[in-house]
Amino acid sequence: MTELLENTQLNGMLQQALFEQVPYNIAVIDRDLNLVLANNHFREYFGDWRHKRCFQVYKSCENPCEPCHARKVFETGVAKVSDETGVDRNGRTCHYIVHTAPLKDENGVVQFILEMSRDITETKQFQREYDILFDRVPCYISVLDRQFNVIRANEKYRSTFGEPAGRTCYAIRKHRDTPCRNCPAMETFVDGREHVEEMHGYDVHGKDVYYVVHTSPLARSDQPFQHVIEIATDITYLKNLENQKLEAERLAAVGQTVAGLAHTIKNLLMGLEGGMYMVDSGLKKNNQERIERGWDSLRRNFDKTTQLVRGFLNFSKGRLPDLKPTDPNEIMRQLYELYKDTSHQQGVDLALDLDEEIAPAPLDPDGMEACLTNLISNGIDAAVMSDNEQGRVILRTREEDGALLFEVQDNGIGMDSEVKQKVFTTFFTTKGGKGTGLGLLTTRKIVQEHGGRISMDTEEGVGSTFRITLPRARLEMLYKQTTEKEE
Amino acid sequence: MSETKKILVVDDEEDIVQFLSVLLEDNGYEVVVARNGIEALEKARADAPALISLDITMPEQSGVKAYKELRNDDDLKSIPIVIVTGYEDPNFEKFIKTRRTIEPPDAFFEKPIQKDEFLAKVKDLTG
Repeated sequence: MTELLENTQLNGMLQQALFEQVPYNIAVIDRDLNLVLANNHFREYFGDWRHKRCFQVYKSCENPCEPCHARKVFETGVAKVSDETGVDRNGRTCHYIVHTAPLKDENGVVQFILEMSRDITETKQFQREYDILFDRVPCYISVLDRQFNVIRANEKYRSTFGEPAGRTCYAIRKHRDTPCRNCPAMETFVDGREHVEEMHGYDVHGKDVYYVVHTSPLARSDQPFQHVIEIATDITYLKNLENQKLEAERLAAVGQTVAGLAHTIKNLLMGLEGGMYMVDSGLKKNNQERIERGWDSLRRNFDKTTQLVRGFLNFSKGRLPDLKPTDPNEIMRQLYELYKDTSHQQGVDLALDLDEEIAPAPLDPDGMEACLTNLISNGIDAAVMSDNEQGRVILRTREEDGALLFEVQDNGIGMDSEVKQKVFTTFFTTKGGKGTGLGLLTTRKIVQEHGGRISMDTEEGVGSTFRITLPRARLEMLYKQTTEKEE
Repeated sequence: MSETKKILVVDDEEDIVQFLSVLLEDNGYEVVVARNGIEALEKARADAPALISLDITMPEQSGVKAYKELRNDDDLKSIPIVIVTGYEDPNFEKFIKTRRTIEPPDAFFEKPIQKDEFLAKVKDLTG
């Protein structure tokens, strides 16, 4: 090979071939910026170059560029790379990268410069499209370094949260001095995996913004990385809808409670009616003892009415439930202990079917107990009413699709479709005058205050299953709201 | 003079029991009282009333169970039953009707009752 290269003729051929065959535009420029040599590639790209100066060919300009990279190389003798915009032979704007190298004589003086350029118009186009995509995508996109500084952010991010200006993500979006406890970016920095978190922050005007953040390492898999990309979808609209829905559900529950309250009031009215009858008839018969009994009855029912109104005012405030971390199974076990004897006396077998793996959840234990008490006593009633030889009521807990389930299943009489529709507006309880008389309405109200729903499956003659579904995300959200308020 | 007819009043509310008792007694009936479903069954068997006025929501044993047992007992099922409750009438009637195996009540009164209507119904049912 060495021998071959020393062959001058071959060397010349090789140089000629290199000059013409490499996929670059190659040109040689003298100190007066005249083009003195160029390859075919160059001519095909920029057009005829003979007797022209570089700026006329590259840029279609009549005057040298300012600053002029060629002159710089002539002065310094140091090679240079630059990113240029010019005009191609068809008059179209083009982008290219130029490597400029000095060609020195034996005294080390730069006599010519060699320019090798390559078209990057398409790459530039991609870059522009990428920039548009980055800015216009309807998500908040940002890139974080390991100190959580936002080093890049797209337009939607900047217009919502303000210019990052070297600040940290938690300062920009949360107005905090320290990283958030549930920071998904931190988790990604630790384990190099993707993470998702629902978060709450503030926009430039201090308004609430809810978003779901996905974080991912900014590197190919298994490679070390220094940056994390965060892509967040705004869910403020949905969140507001959900809050409105919760509020509407709360108000609806209060409205239905008023309807249920009618039952208790009717009993009081009848008590008053009785008292009046006793007093009236006592006066007519001149029976002092009857008048006194009637008067006592009026007084008792007046007191009860006062109590009821007070209780109802508390009940109808639409308060948030008093949530605390609670073992769902423990509630069921306590109710089982409370009801098993009564239930056996009525010939109904009460059984537990608990998911022992179930995790604690923020619940209002008193509220849930009240709910389930209603369902259990209804279940026992339904089983008693049925023609089944052995009545049975099963208390069940389950975890399903991120929701906590409480079920009360009976093998009682079941319900037909008409009764089914009325079940939450009028129904019986077994607690008589001693209870609230609000039955399933109370149950539904409490369930809705937990952000949950109550549903039932029922078949006439087969039995009914009442199911309380409490989505854990909603429980956590409510818990967060109440604890934040307490803070 | 026909013999005095006996009415069984079943309710857990003392004031309502007192009211119905006095009202019925003033109108020539004899009154027996039960405070819950279990007592209602006992008194129905022991006293053979001409009519039972039955409340639904009661402790110990609800009126629902008492109603079912009264209707399923061959000795007692002919006794007319008048429901006096705070629940709205059409829904209870519907509830009972959908049970199919159980006869609907002979009359249904929502609290507070219209005295005259109540007495007229009692008179009608006790012949």
